[in-house]
Amino acid sequence: MPNDYIHIILADDDEDDRLFFTDAFDELKMNTKVNTFNDGVELMDYLNSEDAILPNVLFLDLNMPLKNGIECLNEIKANSKMSDIAIAIYSTSASEEDIEETFVLGANIYIKKPSSFKQLKKVLAEVVSMNWQYHTNSLNKDNFLMRL
Amino acid sequence: MIKRIISKSAIFLRIIFLISVFLILLIGGFTYKHISNLTNSSKLVVTTFKVNVELEKVMSYLKDAENGHRNYILTKDTTHLEPYLTAREKVNESFAELKEIANHGPVQEENLKTLSKYIDSLFRNFTQTSAFVENGFALTEEFKSNFFEEKIIMDSIRHKISEMMDLENRHLQERQKQYQSNLEFTPLFLYLMLLLTLVLIIVSYSKINNDFKNIKIINNQLSIFKEATIQLETVGKHGNWVWYVESNKYTFSDNLYRVLGEKPRAFEPTFEAFLEFVHPDDRKKFSADVERMMKEEDLPFTYYRIIKKDGTVKHIKGYGKLLINNDGEKRIVGNITDISDEIERFLELEERNLELEKNNAELSEFNYVASHDLQEPLRKIQTFISRLEDKEAKNLSASGNQYLERIKVSATRMRLLIDDLLQFSRTNKPDKEFVLTNLNELLEQAKQDVAETIIEKQAIITSDVLPTVSVIPFQVHQLFLNLLSNSLKYSKVAEAPVIKITYELVHSKDDINLINIPKNEYHKITFSDNGIGFEQQYANQIFELFNRLHNKQEYSGTGVGLSICKKIIDNHNGIIIANGEPNIGAIFTIYLPI
Repeated sequence: MPNDYIHIILADDDEDDRLFFTDAFDELKMNTKVNTFNDGVELMDYLNSEDAILPNVLFLDLNMPLKNGIECLNEIKANSKMSDIAIAIYSTSASEEDIEETFVLGANIYIKKPSSFKQLKKVLAEVVSMNWQYHTNSLNKDNFLMRL
Repeated sequence: MIKRIISKSAIFLRIIFLISVFLILLIGGFTYKHISNLTNSSKLVVTTFKVNVELEKVMSYLKDAENGHRNYILTKDTTHLEPYLTAREKVNESFAELKEIANHGPVQEENLKTLSKYIDSLFRNFTQTSAFVENGFALTEEFKSNFFEEKIIMDSIRHKISEMMDLENRHLQERQKQYQSNLEFTPLFLYLMLLLTLVLIIVSYSKINNDFKNIKIINNQLSIFKEATIQLETVGKHGNWVWYVESNKYTFSDNLYRVLGEKPRAFEPTFEAFLEFVHPDDRKKFSADVERMMKEEDLPFTYYRIIKKDGTVKHIKGYGKLLINNDGEKRIVGNITDISDEIERFLELEERNLELEKNNAELSEFNYVASHDLQEPLRKIQTFISRLEDKEAKNLSASGNQYLERIKVSATRMRLLIDDLLQFSRTNKPDKEFVLTNLNELLEQAKQDVAETIIEKQAIITSDVLPTVSVIPFQVHQLFLNLLSNSLKYSKVAEAPVIKITYELVHSKDDINLINIPKNEYHKITFSDNGIGFEQQYANQIFELFNRLHNKQEYSGTGVGLSICKKIIDNHNGIIIANGEPNIGAIFTIYLPI
């Protein structure tokens, strides 16, 4: 199993957002491998399959049909095989309720989707190159939401 | 109050009556005693007088007898013995008389006996002397001694009689003295008693008179009260009933009949007749309530419906209470009220409230969802614009680039509007918790949030020490932030903004802005600036949603910020007031209840 690239998964039902996401990583040229899924069901099916390659970072949209991000987060954290995956919530809104709930459920960071491509690239680069060990140890409610 | 006065006065009058009766009986008793004293006194005088007369009589008879006897001795003529012989008889008569009258104690009794003995021995002596004379035996030694003895006895009798008369007189004087003291004291005592009785009678009279006046006043009040009650019944759709428990009789007030839709006294007031009007569905409950009332002699509020003759259904509220009058008679006094209008209004209000609540919830939901869901496409538009700018700008003509720039500005403005709207709808939620918070900290945080602008505009912000108040912290933070942003935004171009924040504890009665406000003390915080200000006539408009006093080109802003301030202050039951003067500045005054 080649382990010299960073494996990234995005679960988002919005086609445009998936496009922005992959375009951004294309332009970043960071030696990453990006997989995208159209909803929570697809994501969980993949993660639960035998030959699944678990990602280094999982970007999770909250508002998805069939199975939303919160449900996915619950399942992942309940499964010892996947519970160590770094999870970045990737949502349009940053309502207090959502931030609170995902923080409690054990997500590692909360990203509000930026409204410019430049910013998107900056945020993704920062997240992917993050030292998760360090970040998770000093995680609290104030630094959970990523400031742009 | 008046009732108490009257019952008090009744006790008072009863006491006075009893005292008066007692005094009159006392006066009667004393008068009787006085008169019997007088009678006794005069009887005593008469008795003494009679005794003295009889004693004098005895003395004179004895003198006659002595004289007669002496004459006989001298003349030996027996005719002279006549008074002597009659004297004996007359003395005896007088003695009988004396014994009859006399009741003068043992001393006088003894005296009388001694006297009788003396008289007996006198007469014996007389007889002996007479015997000497008859035998022609004169002036012998024996005769002389006999004669002398006669004189001695006579002296003793005289002495005894005068002693008895003295004793009788002394006796009389003593008794007289004793009665005298009684007789002197009694009239004064009686007079005083009479005066006291008179005073009591006068007091009772004035008391009764007073009571009469009071009763008159109470009667007047009662008649007014009665009229008022009748009017009240008509105005308030009340009806009154009384149940006389002992006789099981009822009286219904005129208006009770009217409440039932009948003419006054249209039927005999009985429980059964009333039950006829009660709605069939409520009869069971009503009867149970009445039964409970009879048992517990108290009727709490009961609710039931009645059906009038014309078929209309009315809602009735009833109440009753046991009343025991002064004679111990039980009666239950009750009232019924037609509360149909009240209930209808209440139902209507409840319906409207529900509708309003639903509308409000919908509006809030709509506001939130709209702002929230609107963000997503907008964000994408903005991202695509940024992509276009990055990748295709060089392929566009100059005007194409200009259009792109315009689209970008519009999209940015739309984002601003949506963000503010979202903020506004979040401020709507009133279920936030109040926490005791140091306002200085909230102000400091707000200052941090606008730190960049402060530096950029070289603004000077001064503030008093603010109090610690129970508030919704994030809302008050927002409030301070909005007020600071407002002052910084509407500053003069050529002048560095100066923002002054002052604090003062005020009492609502001392502040013209707090007229008609119930709470007592308020925290008054003012934000004053040296900005462009505004015309005072727009002071209320600036708090309205999306209301702006300046065009977008001059000053950015959505017209939501101050609306949020107003909403936050409303959530805290406070007041916010704006004062402005063009080109001088604006003052925002906040009042927060303690």
